[in-house]
Amino acid sequence: MSDNIYLPKLGRVAFIKDEVVGERAIKTFRVEAADGGDLFEHECGQCAMLSIFGRGESMISIASSPLIKEYKQFSIMRVGRVSTAFHDLAVGDVIGIRGPYGNNFPIDDWRGKNLYFIGGGCGLAPIWPLITTAVAQRADFKNITVFYGGRTSRDIMYRAELEKLRESVDVHLSIDKAEEGWDGYCGFVPAAVMDKDPVPDNSVAITCGPPIMIKFVIQNLNQLGFADDQIYTTIENKMKCGLGKCGRCNVGKDYVCVKGPVYSWAVLKNLPEEY
Amino acid sequence: MEKILDKKRIDDWIAALNDWEVHAPALEDGIWTYKPVSGAARLDHPNTRQSPKGFTFPQREVYFSFEQIKGEPPKLTQILPKETRHVVFGVRPCDGKGVPRMDKVFTDHVEDTYYTTRRKNVAYVGLACNKPPSATCFCLSVGGSPVSTDGLDVQLTDLGDRYFVKAVTETGKALMKAAGSLLTEPAAADQKQVKQVHTEAVAYPQRKINDPDGAPAKLKVSFNSPLWDEMARACIGCGICTFLCPTCHCFDINDEVHSKAPLQGQRVRTWDNCQFPDFTMHSSGHNPRENTGARLRQRVNHKFQYFHENFGMHQCTGCGRCVSECPVGIDIVAVVNKVTENVG
Amino acid sequence: MINIQDIRDTARDMLAKGEVRTVIGYRRGSRGMPAEPAFITSPEQADELIWDPTCYHNLSLYLVHDQKILAHLRKASGSPIAIVAKGCDARSIVVLLQEHYFKREDVYIIGVSCEGTGVLDERKLASQLNGVQPTLAAFDGDDYVFTTAEGEKRLPAREVMADRCLECRIPFPKEHNVVFGEDKTGRQLAEPFAALTRFEAQGTGERWDIWSHHFDRCMRCFACRSVCPMCYCDECVVDSITFPVTQQTSAAEKADRVRWIERSAMRSENITYLLTRAMHLAGRCTDCGECERACPVNIPIRMLNNKMEREAREKFGYEPGASIGGSSLVASFLDNDPGDFIR
Repeated sequence: MSDNIYLPKLGRVAFIKDEVVGERAIKTFRVEAADGGDLFEHECGQCAMLSIFGRGESMISIASSPLIKEYKQFSIMRVGRVSTAFHDLAVGDVIGIRGPYGNNFPIDDWRGKNLYFIGGGCGLAPIWPLITTAVAQRADFKNITVFYGGRTSRDIMYRAELEKLRESVDVHLSIDKAEEGWDGYCGFVPAAVMDKDPVPDNSVAITCGPPIMIKFVIQNLNQLGFADDQIYTTIENKMKCGLGKCGRCNVGKDYVCVKGPVYSWAVLKNLPEEY
Repeated sequence: MEKILDKKRIDDWIAALNDWEVHAPALEDGIWTYKPVSGAARLDHPNTRQSPKGFTFPQREVYFSFEQIKGEPPKLTQILPKETRHVVFGVRPCDGKGVPRMDKVFTDHVEDTYYTTRRKNVAYVGLACNKPPSATCFCLSVGGSPVSTDGLDVQLTDLGDRYFVKAVTETGKALMKAAGSLLTEPAAADQKQVKQVHTEAVAYPQRKINDPDGAPAKLKVSFNSPLWDEMARACIGCGICTFLCPTCHCFDINDEVHSKAPLQGQRVRTWDNCQFPDFTMHSSGHNPRENTGARLRQRVNHKFQYFHENFGMHQCTGCGRCVSECPVGIDIVAVVNKVTENVG
Repeated sequence: MINIQDIRDTARDMLAKGEVRTVIGYRRGSRGMPAEPAFITSPEQADELIWDPTCYHNLSLYLVHDQKILAHLRKASGSPIAIVAKGCDARSIVVLLQEHYFKREDVYIIGVSCEGTGVLDERKLASQLNGVQPTLAAFDGDDYVFTTAEGEKRLPAREVMADRCLECRIPFPKEHNVVFGEDKTGRQLAEPFAALTRFEAQGTGERWDIWSHHFDRCMRCFACRSVCPMCYCDECVVDSITFPVTQQTSAAEKADRVRWIERSAMRSENITYLLTRAMHLAGRCTDCGECERACPVNIPIRMLNNKMEREAREKFGYEPGASIGGSSLVASFLDNDPGDFIR
C-alpha cells in the first residue's frame, strides 16, 4: 500500500565504494529500486530514510543529482548502530528506503549567479547533488567555485570526482595540517575561503560541514560582504519519522525533516540554536 | 439532538451499542482507568489517570513485520490496526479538546494511516465537569471550558438522577439513536437546569495562566531566560508528564527482532518523551537539548508557543495531569506564569 | 518537635559564611502542598525552607545529579552541599559513600528526625477526606493537621502515613553533621515487611497473577528509576536512554551494545526492567519508598525492593546504609557462610 507513510520501498545496493577508511570511515552507496523502475523523484538537498531490517532507520542526505533517475547515492559515515550496519553491507543486499523528505536548495533562483560551495568532512555529500546538477547545467551559472577540506588527505571524499570537476569549475582542496606531497591549501576551511577572496556580487554561498566550520565560514562570508540571504547551509537533528510527527527534530516551531534541512542564514540565524 | 437519560438506564444504553466495544472509567489499583465494559459503568470519576489518547495513539503500534532468509530479499507485511469500533464513555472536556489537537498532528502535511484508521473507529461520549474534578484543572486558561464539546461525539451533563444527552456529531446522533426509547425528550425544566449547571461550571474558580494569549510571544522572547534551568532544577527526567498528557505525541521507531536466522521481527512505534536525556541526542553524542532546563523549555514551548504558531491554538488542554503527577512538583501553570511575567 | 527556624538558621549561617555552595531542602510547592525540592544558594532564601509531612523526596538524588553535572562540565566539586535528610535519606547517602560516589566532606548532612511519625501517603489521605482538597499539612505530635477550604482537619498520623514510615524502625538519620528532632529509633508502628508477608501468604499462582497484572500495567516512564538515588548508573543495562554517548564513543561501541530489552512496554520487557532494577538494589535500597510514590499507575514497586532487603537481612544480617565504614552487601562475605564458593 503506497499511502502508508512508514512502509519503506525496497532498494537494492548496486554499488559500494570506500571513500574514507579508518575510525571516521565513509562509504558511498548507490541504491536502485529492488523491483526495477525508479525509487522516487527528489530535489537537491532532500533526504531519505534508509533502513536495515532488524537494525533500524537513519535519515541520510541524498548525494546524487536529481538528474540521475536510475539510482540514489548516499555517502554514510560510520558513527553508530545503523551506519555501522550499512558499512557491513555488500553489493546486492536489499535495504528499506522511504522519502524524499525535507525542503531543497532553490537552485532555479540561482541561475545566472556565481556559486561558491564550501564543504568540510562528510558535509560534501548534502551539497554534492547541487554541485553536480550545476555542473551538468554549467551554462546556466556564472563562476562555480568549490572549496572542500578534510582533516587529512585521507579524509577527502569524492577525490576522483573532485579532480574531474576541475575541468569545468574551480576546485580548492584543503587539509588541516601540512602533509608531504600535498600541494593544496593547508589550514582550516574558513581560512581557505578567505585565501581566495570570493566576491559577493551576484553570488550565493552554500556551506555544509562540522558546526564549528559552518560558524566560521559564515562569519568570514559576512566579513567579505555576503548578505545573510546569500548564504545557505543545511542542518541535521535526530529524526525518527521524517514527517513532522515524532516530535524530536524541531528547531523552534519547525521540524527540520519538513521545513529543513536547507536554510538561508537569514532565516537560520533567527532560530534557536537547538541543532 | 438533545435528550434525557435516566442514570439507572445507562447500562441499558451501553448494552444497546452492540456494534461497538464500549470503554468507561473504572477504579482499579487506586486509579481511574478506561476499561472495556459490558454492563455497569459508573461515571462518577474525577478524571482518568491516563488520558484517552491511547485509543488512537497506543503506546505500542506495529507498523509492519519483516522476514528475511539469508541471500533473499526481505519480505514486509504491513500490519494495520483492526477496524474494531470503540466508544469511550466519560471523557472529560479537556481530553475531548485533545482529540482535534492530535488530529492536527497526525493529519497535517501527510496522513498517518495508523492514527486515522483508529480515529475513524472511535467515538467519544463526554461528560461535562459540573465542578473541576481536580485541584490542578486549568482548562479555562487554555481556551477550554468544563462544558466544551470539542472533540466529543456526545456530551453528557450530570443532572443528579439523570443525564442531559446532547449529540455533537453525526456519529453521536447514531449512538443516541441506538438507545431508542431509553432517551426521552427533555422538558423545559431540564433545559433550564442544564443551562444553570453549565453556567455554574464555568464560574467555578480554577488555577490560572495569567496571560495565555500573550504566552506564545512572551515565551518566544524568553528562550534564553535563566529561569528554565532554575525551574527544571528538580526535574528527574522521567516520562510521567508526557505519557499522561492528552496531547503529547512524540514517538520512537525501532526494529524488534524476534529471530536472527531467519531474520524475523517487527518495526514498531512506541511513545517517547522529550524529557528523556537521549531524546534528541545525535549519534555522534552531540545533544542539542543537553540539560533539564532545555528539555522543560521544549515541552512548555511546544504546548504554548510552537503549536500555537503552527495551528493557532494552545496544545495544552489544561487537564492538570502533569502538575498533579509530577513527583517533584514541576507545575506547568507556575512555569508559564513565572517565565512570562515581566516580559514586555 | 522540630522547629523549622533551626533548620533555616543553620542554612542561612552556612551560606553566609560560604561553608556550603547550596542547601538542598524543601519548600512550599506552587499549590501549597506537597512540598517540593528547594535549592537554596543565598542566605536570604533560607526562610523558604519548610519541614512538613509532605517532605517526601529523598533529596540525596540531587547529590547524584550534582556529581553528574560536575563530571559533564569537567569541574571539581568545590565547597560542599548541605542537604536536609530524613533517616532513610541519610542511609542512602551512607550507601553512596560506601560506593565512593562522592566524599564525606562533599556533603553536609542536616539530619531531621521523623520522630513518632513520617511522611504522608496522599492516596490514603484522599480516601479519608472524601474529595476535600487540603492546601497545607503540618506535624503536630503524633497527628497531622491539614488546612482545607472547610477549615482545619486533624488526623492521627498513623492513619494516613506512608507504609514505609509505619514499617520504619530507624526514623532517625544516624549519619549527620547536625540533627534536629528526637531520636526515636526502635519505635515501630507496624510490622516490617508487612505488605510483603501478606503477599507471600498467597499461593504461587495467585502471586504470579497479581504481578503479571502489574507488569502489564507498567508504562516504563522510568519515574521509579529516575527518582532513585541508587539508580545512578551512567549506563543502565535495561534501557538505552542513558547510554552515555560522548563525542569519543566509537561507532563500534555503539553498534555492539546489547539491547537487553525493547522500548515496547510489554510484560516480557517490563519484567526484565523491574526485576533487574530490584536485583541491583539488593543491599542498597534504604526503603525511602520514592519509587512507589512516584509511580503514576500505582505499581507496588516497594514490595520488590523489600523482598531483596529481607533476604539480605535474614540471610546475611545486612542492614543497608548502617555505617560508612561497613562494606556493601555484594562486596562482603561472612566467615561462617555455609556455601563453599569462598573457601
